[in-house]
Amino acid sequence: MKKIITVVVLMVLSSTQNVFSQQDGSQHEGAQQEDYWSVQYGMSFGTGDLNDYISEPSFRGALIEYRKAIKGNLLVGLDIGWNVFYEKKDFDTYTSGTVTVSGVQYRSQNLIPIMISADYFFKTNTTFKPYVGFGIGTIYTERNTDMGQFRLQQNQWHFALKPELGMLYEVAYKTNIKLAAKYYNGFEADSLEGNQNYFSVSAGVTFGL
Amino acid sequence: MKKMKKKFLLYLGVCLLIMACNPQGAEYYEDLDLVYTNYDDSFEFANQRTYSIPNQIVKVTGNLAEGEDPQFVQEPYRTEMLEKIKSNMTNLGWEEVVNPADADLVLLPAVWTNTTIYYWYDYWCWYYPFYCGYGWSYPVVTAQTSGTLVMTLITDGENSIDPIRVWTAAANGLLSGAFNTNRVTKAIDQAFEQSPYLDVN
Repeated sequence: MKKIITVVVLMVLSSTQNVFSQQDGSQHEGAQQEDYWSVQYGMSFGTGDLNDYISEPSFRGALIEYRKAIKGNLLVGLDIGWNVFYEKKDFDTYTSGTVTVSGVQYRSQNLIPIMISADYFFKTNTTFKPYVGFGIGTIYTERNTDMGQFRLQQNQWHFALKPELGMLYEVAYKTNIKLAAKYYNGFEADSLEGNQNYFSVSAGVTFGL
Repeated sequence: MKKMKKKFLLYLGVCLLIMACNPQGAEYYEDLDLVYTNYDDSFEFANQRTYSIPNQIVKVTGNLAEGEDPQFVQEPYRTEMLEKIKSNMTNLGWEEVVNPADADLVLLPAVWTNTTIYYWYDYWCWYYPFYCGYGWSYPVVTAQTSGTLVMTLITDGENSIDPIRVWTAAANGLLSGAFNTNRVTKAIDQAFEQSPYLDVN
């Protein structure tokens, strides 16, 4: 799986580089969406296995993005995020084989998505700029199950995809408010059963370069 | 330059906000109480009826390992814990006998404690005194003590010299210094409640 992720990331990076180099000497026709950095706050809702493990939504999340315009409406870049899911489970009993354990469980799961992303803007010369996006990369997961004074920790890298819908709203020169809805799909990997998927809504600011 | 500084501060602010929101975990001693049980699923508990139990609860300490006389849990905790164990066994249909040689199973309770001490101070002063005072000016010392009660049901082996453990229960938690037995008696109840295979009624 690590090899596949490495190959995919390298392919995307190399293709991105080619497009960047083609852009030199530029062919700016009409309005072009500017390059930008963005910082966003995100809240997330687990689905599937993640939701089975922690049913509470996450209100702890942040995302930093960089986007580079490679054509008028198309931007590519890098996303790095951090989402923390947490839930205290009331005193309960858990059985596996002949072993039974009772206690309060504290469950937390950190997810760090690292993605190469591409966004296509439907409009670039207006104040309101909707877009669709797609990301490919990896999600690093750290799942901690605390019970009593003991901790079960599971760490995993997942191959991941991310479709996205969003908009920029220009509020000042080279500054936009950004709203986005994303669905992170971390594919099943060794130590965690099931896909680690979550839906995330984020809001933040972009700074044009 | 000012613009860059603003952006940096914004990013830093978000990072600090996230760190501040990090989950905190347990707030009360009870939240860290844990009850563990395990049993031999090839053993027929239903065919057993009698058990014996010592009238003391031994403390497992380093002294015991060195061959010194065992220490025991003091009153009133000893009686409260033993009575709680016995009442649970009775409710499950077991009959207590005095002589372990006459019993189908022997129930052996034991406790031990474990104290961990944490220190933190400006440990780098010896190497680079210039940095002294930029960390924890005063040494920080914290200690926590955890206690464990273990109950084991054993039966004779084929030659009566090789005891076989057929049920183990362990209740573990942080000691609060409150000197009451509520948490441990509750844990004893829980250990039997989560072991329905012990029911011989």
